[in-house]
Amino acid sequence: MKIHRLSLPLDPSGLTELKTGDKILLSGEVHTARDQAHAKFIDLLNNGEPFPFDLSKTALFYCGPAPVPPGRTSGSLGPTTSYRMDRYTIPLLERGLKVMIGKGERSPEVTAAIKEHGALYLVCVGGISALLARCVVSRETLLWPELGAEAVYKLVLQDLPCYVALL
Amino acid sequence: MGLRTVSAAEIREQVIGAIGEICCRPTPETADLLRAALNREKDELARDMLQSILLNHQIAAEEALPLCQDTGLLVVFAELGSELLITGGILPEIISAAAASAWQKFYLRDSIAPDPLRGKTLLPPEAKPGSSAARATSGLPFILHLDQVAGNRLTLHLALKGGGAENCGALQMFNPGASLGEIEDFIVRTVVEAGGKPCPPVFVGVGIGGDFESCAILAKRALLLPPHNEPDLQRMERRLLDRINLRGHGVMGCAGSTTALRVSILTRPCHIASLPVAVNIDCHAHRVTSRVI
Repeated sequence: MKIHRLSLPLDPSGLTELKTGDKILLSGEVHTARDQAHAKFIDLLNNGEPFPFDLSKTALFYCGPAPVPPGRTSGSLGPTTSYRMDRYTIPLLERGLKVMIGKGERSPEVTAAIKEHGALYLVCVGGISALLARCVVSRETLLWPELGAEAVYKLVLQDLPCYVALL
Repeated sequence: MGLRTVSAAEIREQVIGAIGEICCRPTPETADLLRAALNREKDELARDMLQSILLNHQIAAEEALPLCQDTGLLVVFAELGSELLITGGILPEIISAAAASAWQKFYLRDSIAPDPLRGKTLLPPEAKPGSSAARATSGLPFILHLDQVAGNRLTLHLALKGGGAENCGALQMFNPGASLGEIEDFIVRTVVEAGGKPCPPVFVGVGIGGDFESCAILAKRALLLPPHNEPDLQRMERRLLDRINLRGHGVMGCAGSTTALRVSILTRPCHIASLPVAVNIDCHAHRVTSRVI
């Protein structure tokens, strides 16, 4: 198994070396977003409002983190099932989204759109959330704190272990 | 035997302790099954993923962090002895209070949407149930299945059930003339078609018989109860496990020869016109435990 170290924002030329099943150690700034945040993203796009961050420079991490115990940078965190985000994904790819991190299969439409837009879908192992918490360098609540675990958190990651699922 | 009393405080402490145990530690059976899966696995990607799962067990226990960020929905099967008197509260409220404490104490995630329609109603905003302002980090309400049994003990079977695996369950009302093959095909198909969504390798609970809702409850119960000793059902469980692992997509739906770790079947009598079959799936974190009080 090939292992690549990748940093965000992604250098598009780095994608050519990747193959399905390769392991990635991902570093850099990502944004968590799950069902409710995705619905709000689409509302923003439909209302012609500015997008709150540059989708092309980050990754959307399908993740609702657990609370942070005192004295820690992060609580347990890990991927949620990606197919629930499929209904929102194509408009985000059209808006520049390049990297998604989740778990499980995508719909045929989203699979095709990921290829068409030269995007990358990575999967993490689910349920290894204490291990993944160690990869969080910093965490801040960026958008919609009232959504709790479904808020958008900006995370800086160091060597998050994941695997190439689609590109 | 004879009448016994137990205080609400004792039950509350036992439930808090049980939640604390399962959120951060795999059951010994789960750890053994995953180690065995790693030992027989030949695929490099699947081995890497299984090693991560086993390493996570260590880190979660050492650092007292939840195994998974989805700390789940608390599901409790309670068998309350008719000769046990609980003083100082009623069981649903005692367990609710325990869950609220445990959610705070162990930094568990509130994963409950108070309004299942999330505001997608025709009601005016002020009439919508469970506005976002009402959210609390409690993980409540929980699910309770309460039975009265003989004796003076209280048996609790508890699970923290993640949403991703729960979403992959299915129930089918079969024609009583259906063959065993048709029933097994449905069970295998349900698990295999779930792919990576329920975080395989999974535990598979199967309910056969009862009526529409008791069949689904039976499938969930099969996941929580210790293994039974019914030889016919054990043979069927082994056959299903082999078929699932032959056809399944492996660890996280990506690779390898283990899609399921265990299949557990429970049955009960049903109407002569009916043959309900339900499948309930649990992820590899499989946070279950039992307490006898």
